[in-house]
Amino acid sequence: MLAVAARDEKAFAVLYDRYADLVFSASMRVLEDSQLAEDATQDIFVRIWRRPEAFIAERGRFVSWLMSVVRNRSVDEFRSRGRRRRREGLPASTDQPDDAMAMLPGNADDPLREAQLHEEQRLVRAALTTLPPEQKLALELAYFGGMTQQEVALALNEPLGTIKTRIRLGMQKLRRSLQDLA
Amino acid sequence: MDPALSPHLSQEQADEFALGSLEPEVAALVRLHIEECEPCRQLVSDGQWVASMIGMSAPPVEAPSHLKGRVLGAAGIRRSPFQTVVRFTPAATAAAAIIVALASLAGLVSLRGQVGDLRDENASLDAQIDTAIAQRVEITALTRRLADGERASSEIEAAARGDRALLLALLSPESQVAEIVPLDETVPTVGRLVWDNTQKKVFFVAMSLPAVGQDETYQLWVSADGRFFSLGTFGPDDSGFVRYETTLPQDLKSYESAVVTIERAGGSSSRAGRTVMVTDLSDLRR
Repeated sequence: MLAVAARDEKAFAVLYDRYADLVFSASMRVLEDSQLAEDATQDIFVRIWRRPEAFIAERGRFVSWLMSVVRNRSVDEFRSRGRRRRREGLPASTDQPDDAMAMLPGNADDPLREAQLHEEQRLVRAALTTLPPEQKLALELAYFGGMTQQEVALALNEPLGTIKTRIRLGMQKLRRSLQDLA
Repeated sequence: MDPALSPHLSQEQADEFALGSLEPEVAALVRLHIEECEPCRQLVSDGQWVASMIGMSAPPVEAPSHLKGRVLGAAGIRRSPFQTVVRFTPAATAAAAIIVALASLAGLVSLRGQVGDLRDENASLDAQIDTAIAQRVEITALTRRLADGERASSEIEAAARGDRALLLALLSPESQVAEIVPLDETVPTVGRLVWDNTQKKVFFVAMSLPAVGQDETYQLWVSADGRFFSLGTFGPDDSGFVRYETTLPQDLKSYESAVVTIERAGGSSSRAGRTVMVTDLSDLRR
């Protein structure tokens, strides 16, 4: 990111290669529309190029910041298009086979970093599968569905307190499971 | 959860904010708070890390191959720095250059104009977006200040009402005043209990009352028939002044004494804490 901040075009291209699939995948998960996900991905990377100072390294990891940007941008898009609707049943499954990672293109520039990123994604998916289904669902509806706790409660026809508890416990358990990634 | 009423966020609140599950108006308050509060920003940062892991769990979808060109173009980078440059012999290069030049010459001028227009339009849109974001932040800050102002106004109004009630109590011939003194003679607290039968109220007024810990509160008790009944909890302001009022306990027929104790925050259902002030009420007319 320092190189991107220094207007290094090659560094920006490397950054894109490393994170484009991650950004596009998360946008697709929220928007469920490839054209909108492309627009969101483009917008996110262009903003990174134009305002690299928005990322403050002292406040956390780049990937954490990037994912929060992706989530907020995608949810904003989702809402602004008026396409928000109550989803029926479970959101799209995240239980992809591990070899799905093989579909991701490699990055010849830094295969070690790329492998680390993929390993993190694999561990995250594994950690999520350890959550009780109702906690996982509440977290996914809030994160990918862009729903407030009140909206999650309405969508699942559960009391607000129940949803708050599920989210709290889910975040706690996920945090413990992911400590090794910190 | 109302961060405006709490000095700091809990990890649970920080997680809810990081997950994006808070109501928008509450999230706006949290956003303003963490801009100024490093400890809470750290909590949110930790929550964002966990939330980002949820984002990373999205099923992998390969970004379309044409998207990179779109992104680099929109970023104003003319060509991908990774694009392989094929080197030809000077003659071939010259020939290719002539062919390309001839083929594109006709459209080049108009294309350049269109690209320039698009860039201008893009820059204008960017400026509009920046302005909109800045206005949004400003509106949020103004809304917060307005809410603070309304709250302060309500507090002043309530204080004025309380002052008026206390004045009426002091002027009423039906009122009685008892001095309530600190047990520790080195403490300079001066306190009065005002029993107002007209307004059916009890006032406790004190000066130089020491502050208590964050997990403690002062609590006023009255004894009758050997038992103590709570009249509520209170705390002094920064200068040590307190004016507390409550309704007269209607079901009590006689009073023996009143004490002030220090109890755990929120108050106790039965007197348990250290007694710091006391007064005799046996001479009180009923």
